[in-house]
Amino acid sequence: MILNKRARFVFVSFLLLPSVLLVAVFIIYPLANGVRLSFTNASPLRPLTRYIGLENYIKLLSDSTFWEVLYNSVLIIGVSTALSLVVGFLLALALNTGLRGTWVFRTAIFQVWVVPWIAATILWGWLFNSEYGIINYTLQQTGLTAEPLSWLARPALAQLVMILGFVWRTIPFMMVVSLAALQGIPQELLEAAAIDGASYLKRLRFVTIPLVRNVLLTVGLLQAVRMFQEITMPWVLTQGGPVNATTTLSLHAYKLAFQRWEFGLSSAVGTLWLVFLLVFAVIYMKLLVRERE
Amino acid sequence: MRYPRNVAGRILLYVAILFSLIAMLFPIGWMLSTAFKPASEVFAFPPTWIPANPTFEAFRGAITGPLARFFLNSFIVAAGTTLLATFSGALAAYALSRFPFRGSQSLLLFFLASLAFPLPLLMISMYMMFAQLRLLNSFWALIIGHTVITLPIVVWLLKSFFDTLPREVEEAAYIDGAGPFHTLIRIVFPMSRPGLAASSIFIFVTSWNEFMFGLTFTSSNELRPLPAGISLVFLQEFQYRWPEMMAVATIATIPILALFLFFQRQFIQGLTVGAVKG
Repeated sequence: MILNKRARFVFVSFLLLPSVLLVAVFIIYPLANGVRLSFTNASPLRPLTRYIGLENYIKLLSDSTFWEVLYNSVLIIGVSTALSLVVGFLLALALNTGLRGTWVFRTAIFQVWVVPWIAATILWGWLFNSEYGIINYTLQQTGLTAEPLSWLARPALAQLVMILGFVWRTIPFMMVVSLAALQGIPQELLEAAAIDGASYLKRLRFVTIPLVRNVLLTVGLLQAVRMFQEITMPWVLTQGGPVNATTTLSLHAYKLAFQRWEFGLSSAVGTLWLVFLLVFAVIYMKLLVRERE
Repeated sequence: MRYPRNVAGRILLYVAILFSLIAMLFPIGWMLSTAFKPASEVFAFPPTWIPANPTFEAFRGAITGPLARFFLNSFIVAAGTTLLATFSGALAAYALSRFPFRGSQSLLLFFLASLAFPLPLLMISMYMMFAQLRLLNSFWALIIGHTVITLPIVVWLLKSFFDTLPREVEEAAYIDGAGPFHTLIRIVFPMSRPGLAASSIFIFVTSWNEFMFGLTFTSSNELRPLPAGISLVFLQEFQYRWPEMMAVATIATIPILALFLFFQRQFIQGLTVGAVKG
């Protein structure tokens, strides 16, 4: 553009200033400070904070709760992300056939995406209510279960309730993104394959899926990363119980920090979480590079 | 050409679509159905889908409490966040789109990565800072918190939007002697309305939805946003009064749904530009 070097520097600095300031003060500093705190016994309840070395980490890693929580988070978020990705993609395929009137369907489903988490959470509590919930009523009426299931009191069932909630809330997003990806496929490719006699399933397997796979995997990964931050449903519905079955990593860190006010210990959870992310990112990059070669 | 050509296949597809539609919308239907039921009908056996005696009783019960206040708080916070995040995000996105510099790609990647940073970890230091600045229990704490979690997406979304705008218009303005600020405010922003609308909706929805900051950074009903307020006040008060709870859930959903229905098209466009490219 036609700005001289100096004017350009001033202008760009001005443009970046607010964001960089926000990021530096409220992301970078908290991140660095958080890592520092993980080596201390910091707590608003203690007047003096002192460095205690690796004590927090030793405490965490030798405590089976941490590993349980980690396993449960990966289970709940992994299963729900995979499930919503598959269902969202199938829905997008159905919508992408050019059938008439599918826009009504797309619009209707996409509304679910803005139902606030808190509303979805209360609603889930009512649907899966063990005495009067419609789910138990339906299951009993159709003879699938003899006794009402106590959804939120049994660990495996509570996890299932969370997974269903996460899936319900995520399917619309996955559907819209899949649809956009599908619509980005050049029609000629599919038509050429059809002329060569490839059936719908063959085209799906050898043309469509390879073309959208990377986009969808990336979106799935981003969604999973975002889901790791979500605590509304487990916090309100089960408080992470029964016996930590629905405590995700973020809920665990949150509870340590703001219920037990153990800032140091919670920071250690957060720092380990960061390390996991880093390891994961490196592996992902390596795979990406290898695929490109 | 693309849909199944035989009638049976088409009917099967419609049935499958209809079935998934019912499965997806059934929870919302049940929420509405319960919200309009009198207390006596909620536990009726067998349950009724259409309330026999529909009533607004539950809604009346729900709005007498501090719900209106929570509603207003959420609105103030969401509006404030939308202004702050759009303003700072749009400026940064414009710089990254039009004046790439050494490290601008890394900056963009850092923004994306920051979405994954553990929020509880960030919140600990934010809590300590806000406590020192006496900003705890104020709208500012929430507006800043929500800006931090939406800014990365806003920058990405608007950068990909600015990338699609033709540069010629701006260049013509420069040739006519307009300064960079003038060009940005008078020419670029007006052209960017669809992009700005999409990112504003994204911010508003995210802020309206956000739970953790609201729960932690506010401690009085005068300042609590909806999600935190609902969980702290109504879940205790309305325990087992399901029509009231469903009325509260409905009230929390309606404004965001209305906004969304209205701007859906821009939003999906904006969202998919960012998502598919990213």
